[in-house]
Amino acid sequence: MTKAKVHFFWLVLYLAVSSCKKEEAAIIATDNRYYLAIPGNMPPWVDDVDNPLTNDGVKLGRLLFYDKRLSGNNQLSCASCHQQALAFSDGMRINDSGVSKQKLHRHTPTLFNLLWTNKGLFWDGGSTNLESQAFGPLTSMDEMGQDLYELEFELKAVPEYRQLFDKAFENGITSANVVKALAQFQRTLVSANSRYDKFKRNEGIQLSVLEMEGMKVMEQKCKSCHAGELFTDNDFHNNGIDFSYNDDLEGIYLGRFRVTLNPLDMGSFKTPTLRNVMLTAPYMHDGRFGSIDEVLDHYAHGIRPSLTVDKRLYQNNGQLGIPLSSTEKSAIKAFLNALSDEEFISNKKISNPY
Amino acid sequence: MKKILTIITLASILFTACKKDEEITSTPGKVSLNFDAVFGTSDFALNTNFNSGTKTYNFNKFRYWVSNIVLVKANGEEYVVPKSYYLLEETSAVTVQDGAYTYPANKRELVELNDIPNGEYKGIKFGIGVESKYNDNLSLTIGELSQLNGMTNVSWMWHTSYIFTAIGGSAVENANNKTIKIETGLNANYKTVALNFPQNLTIGGSKSNVINLKADVSKALDGIDVIATPTVGAAQATTMTALANNYSTKVFSVTSVN
Repeated sequence: MTKAKVHFFWLVLYLAVSSCKKEEAAIIATDNRYYLAIPGNMPPWVDDVDNPLTNDGVKLGRLLFYDKRLSGNNQLSCASCHQQALAFSDGMRINDSGVSKQKLHRHTPTLFNLLWTNKGLFWDGGSTNLESQAFGPLTSMDEMGQDLYELEFELKAVPEYRQLFDKAFENGITSANVVKALAQFQRTLVSANSRYDKFKRNEGIQLSVLEMEGMKVMEQKCKSCHAGELFTDNDFHNNGIDFSYNDDLEGIYLGRFRVTLNPLDMGSFKTPTLRNVMLTAPYMHDGRFGSIDEVLDHYAHGIRPSLTVDKRLYQNNGQLGIPLSSTEKSAIKAFLNALSDEEFISNKKISNPY
Repeated sequence: MKKILTIITLASILFTACKKDEEITSTPGKVSLNFDAVFGTSDFALNTNFNSGTKTYNFNKFRYWVSNIVLVKANGEEYVVPKSYYLLEETSAVTVQDGAYTYPANKRELVELNDIPNGEYKGIKFGIGVESKYNDNLSLTIGELSQLNGMTNVSWMWHTSYIFTAIGGSAVENANNKTIKIETGLNANYKTVALNFPQNLTIGGSKSNVINLKADVSKALDGIDVIATPTVGAAQATTMTALANNYSTKVFSVTSVN
């Protein structure tokens, strides 16, 4: 064989052998991967191995998120209760706009920076990932009340959905792929462009004296739970809003205990982020506080003692509460305003596409 | 030109060689698993009274997931049956999602396994319920796992996950009549059952094999006071653990193989 022919021989051999590995190659050689730009001050993140972000998946997730076909009465979309202008919360203490018109038992949470939510969804962490979580609101009669068979049927009637599902997933329109697409879209909801962020990244923004003072107080008195650049530790704490915890409604008032059955978790609920907090009143898992002033007053002198109240809420002298002067409260509020992300709540890439 | 032809021939041999590896040379065996539901010494049936001690039961549902089936060879080697997730049941119609739709009445006791490597086998292992990987993520579908058959908990009231086993109906004791809803779930209660065959089973050739199993509902309820605890869910952790242990150690037995 001449040299050229030897090369040709190896090429043919290589092609023959590599054809065996076709399936692996198809997975690796995807140009459909979604590029998510994460500002430098935010923590590192990892994509979900079972449901990685793709352009088609995210696009599909956005269409589904805003589509009223997802509810049983075709009048509600995810965005009905997760409104972009309110950092994907609903502004209501307890929502009662679900299919059954019954009041929910918990306050609607915000939806952003969910890439980093690694200790479970819901106020008690009762769902391990966004994919499983979505089945809750989709199927609950007090929320979207959708029949999952009917959902597949309704979506299959839409040519654009048939195309997009086929591009994004192996097996087309299934309820499992609906929740996968919703999860992908939700993971792209990143809020990290507040005035605080731009100050932090030296992007030419200066915080006022009062805001700087608020940041200092906040770091001393709130950051042990509202930690890091996420302004949450994603963990569960009893912040002393109740004296006792009844076990009505299969333990919904028991907090994290309902999931872990660990007595130390009695009455503990997830730390919400302080990002966009001035856009997301009311507050607490049951929306009991209508304003941020009520929240600050609670921490200063309203904490109710019980066996599982978080140790961080005790002072060195054993007194409950975080002392806050009225000047400190004003400074904290000024700083919290600097955590509102106007770009995020007006970003057209994540807004209603219809 | 001749050489190029040789190369093409060689390449085509290589191509075929790739495919050959994936096929198993001898005829793989077929095995049916027959999970016969019983209550003590009686055949299990819906809407029928069964007495156990001072209690009388009447059932409308007995459902459970069987997963990760492993066949154990006589030499101790194990064959893991891929994608083996099956819903076994004898149930009246099940109202799913607060009545959004109805899962029809169904009786299913038979599981057909194909492509089992030839050989002599001495036992079987399987899980009752769904292991954490799939239990924690309802979007990962495999085998018969589905959100559509009323064997998942998607409400706020539980960890969002599969219901591993479900017994429903009524129980009466001393004129005390209770509707019972006895369920297991949650990762800690995923248990494995390991059973030996009464004698070794040779799988292979053209013959199809049967493994006859018994699933005894009375054993599942052994030691559970259903009058005091008519509903067993996530909040009844101790009782649920006792139930899960019953499923792991007492409920299933192999009656015959052939």
